[in-house]
Amino acid sequence: MRSRCSAFIISLLLCASAVSSAVAQGAAGDWTMPSKDYAATRFSELAQITPANAKSLHAVWSFSTGTLGGHEGQPLVVHNTMYVVTPYPNVLYAFDLSKEGYPLKWKYRPPVDQNSLGIACCDAVNRGAVYADGKIVYNLLDGHTVAVDAATGKELWKTKIADIAQGETTPMAPLIVKDRVLVGASGGEFGILGWVKGLDLATGKVVWTGTNIGPDSLVLAKPGTFKTFYDKGANLGATTWPGDAWKHGGAPVWGWMSYDPVLDLVYYGVGNPGPYNAEQRLGDNKWTASVLARRPEDGSLVWAYQFTPHDSWDFDAAAEMVLVDLTIKGKQRKVLVHFDKNGFEYTMDRATGEVLLAEPYVHVNWASRIDLATGRPVLDSTKLTGASKGNVKDICPTLEGGKSPASPVAYSPRTGLFYASTNSMCMDYQAVETAHLAGTPFMGINSPYHAGSDKNLGAFIAWDAATGKRKWAIEEKFPVWSGSLATRGNVVFYGTLDGWFKAADAATGAVLWKFKVGSGVVGDPITFSGADGKQYVAIYAGIGGDWLLLAGDYKSDDPADVRDPADFVRDLARHTSQGGIVWVFAL
Amino acid sequence: MRRLSSALLFAAIAATGCREQSDVPPGANVPGASETSANGIVIAKHDDRVFAGGIAPPAERVANSAADDAKAADAGAKLFTGMNCDGCHGGGAVGAVGPSLTDGRWRYGGGDADIFRSIAEGRPKGMPAFGGVLQPPMIWRLVAYIKSLEPPKDVPTESWVDEGKPTR
Repeated sequence: MRSRCSAFIISLLLCASAVSSAVAQGAAGDWTMPSKDYAATRFSELAQITPANAKSLHAVWSFSTGTLGGHEGQPLVVHNTMYVVTPYPNVLYAFDLSKEGYPLKWKYRPPVDQNSLGIACCDAVNRGAVYADGKIVYNLLDGHTVAVDAATGKELWKTKIADIAQGETTPMAPLIVKDRVLVGASGGEFGILGWVKGLDLATGKVVWTGTNIGPDSLVLAKPGTFKTFYDKGANLGATTWPGDAWKHGGAPVWGWMSYDPVLDLVYYGVGNPGPYNAEQRLGDNKWTASVLARRPEDGSLVWAYQFTPHDSWDFDAAAEMVLVDLTIKGKQRKVLVHFDKNGFEYTMDRATGEVLLAEPYVHVNWASRIDLATGRPVLDSTKLTGASKGNVKDICPTLEGGKSPASPVAYSPRTGLFYASTNSMCMDYQAVETAHLAGTPFMGINSPYHAGSDKNLGAFIAWDAATGKRKWAIEEKFPVWSGSLATRGNVVFYGTLDGWFKAADAATGAVLWKFKVGSGVVGDPITFSGADGKQYVAIYAGIGGDWLLLAGDYKSDDPADVRDPADFVRDLARHTSQGGIVWVFAL
Repeated sequence: MRRLSSALLFAAIAATGCREQSDVPPGANVPGASETSANGIVIAKHDDRVFAGGIAPPAERVANSAADDAKAADAGAKLFTGMNCDGCHGGGAVGAVGPSLTDGRWRYGGGDADIFRSIAEGRPKGMPAFGGVLQPPMIWRLVAYIKSLEPPKDVPTESWVDEGKPTR
């Protein structure tokens, strides 16, 4: 929506900056897309809240979503309206921010197939909606994308994009680039054939489908367009698998996408290969556990890079790719920064896919380093898993990731630092032979977690992606599973599993303020300008998104399901229970 | 790909015991009349129901025909892994995407025939119907395995004296 640029002076100024041109979608104080901007920085120019005054933050509003699933993702704020998508059954609420108490303008209640609850690997989450051209667009868990009129709540179109009978569900947040709506499917635990689709924003019609695995014709790797920095050869998405194993090879897309308008490339991470027993799929298994760069218009694959070849640990690369300009070894570079589940932070040339730097941001023992000449990890062979290897002990990090892909980072151009929620845990990994049966899991794994070498299970860290070094850390007792928010005011925000929402000094890591929000936080904070011109901060409370986090808790609608807490978070249930609340805070 | 062939798996399991199709005992302990289903697929009403007018509708009670087979539970455990049941219900059926089957609590009844029906016909919220790929004797072995899982001592109270594992 470039035309809107002229309507807002601030937006016009920001349009001059290539990386920030995404702000053109709305006023600077709005939050129109899941990751705030196309570069996925989750950085806001708002600066009223500062380290000096953050201690006077207080709750000004809250709303029960009426659902208890994991509340991942984030609200949108557009034109004094806040849009909230709930976990299944994916109700869309539109709150009028210009009136006291933020009354609803409307709510949209789509029918969603309840069978999707049993096909979604990891709770009935939804990672958010996106705004463009007067439409709110988001995915329903059961494999549909919907576009709703942002003003009226009327459904404009609804497109079936995925098939739950084949193990596909759709919790990810779409990205809209020009007239394309980009969507993908989860199902790395159900033997799907992973893909990304480009829909027409006006009609919802599927314009193109590019798979993440399989021959060049399916992955849309065209001669003359597709060029990788490290890997050579045709049909790598098929030849790096035994036989036709790629047809059930997983490769889901469940994180947040980003876009560089100058290079005209959309970036997204691809999840794990299936099954978890790596001996059933010998080879690199491209392009699972990879980053793919595509043209949004027709889906053409331009480059790809695999973080974890022949993934033997469920190291999805589903996490966000943040697009920033950094000075690396004295040279200004256009880079892509990615905190992989495998424990390494990668700083890459986003035009070519060359790895410029890869450093462990948590304790890593499955590989000693990433060889920058080949782009491949240098493995510890004793940590390789497979059915014939029995129970392989003490692999760090766990398959939840050194950082969960469900917990997106933020980047502050003011400090030049990334802010990330991290986990300090290790796992044992016992793979077993498994058979593919459509509509049932395709896994073959038992992988209990235990505490890593740190005293605490998690930390919120500041990280310099130009040097690969940690600047500071706020230790947390439990794994940290929320997204991050950075602001021009130099205050960063995150939440904890035991239900605290916290503000910290972006420069020093000093905790400035905290508030107990009623349920563990796995959502992503946002900030916006209210109708009164004040800066507000919003966050979801509602633990979930991973069955092990539910801490033995159970829901009102299913008291027939009682579980023991997971060993690694035995006492989490002492501090939180399930919930679903939208909170708004202000000075 | 070296994955197991589903067809071979089914054949191997079927070969371990197909000696009965259904044993449908007359409705002992069941209120109301009972009748025998024609095809051996059995239907039973579990006990936790409210009866309109205090009168139970006709129903039939069926016991697991594999109940006397000491090896049935072991065979069922192999099926529980082989049919990817553990992918949803967790290893040992302690619960994951699908509910725990070891807690002694049941959404749809915990009688043999209730569990049989859940497996054969599926249930809402994503429990697949396995009746198309599993013969009744195999389902009965799964029932035998699930019924062999000892529920924990289910004390309603959880309490914490100090940080760490809750007391039940």
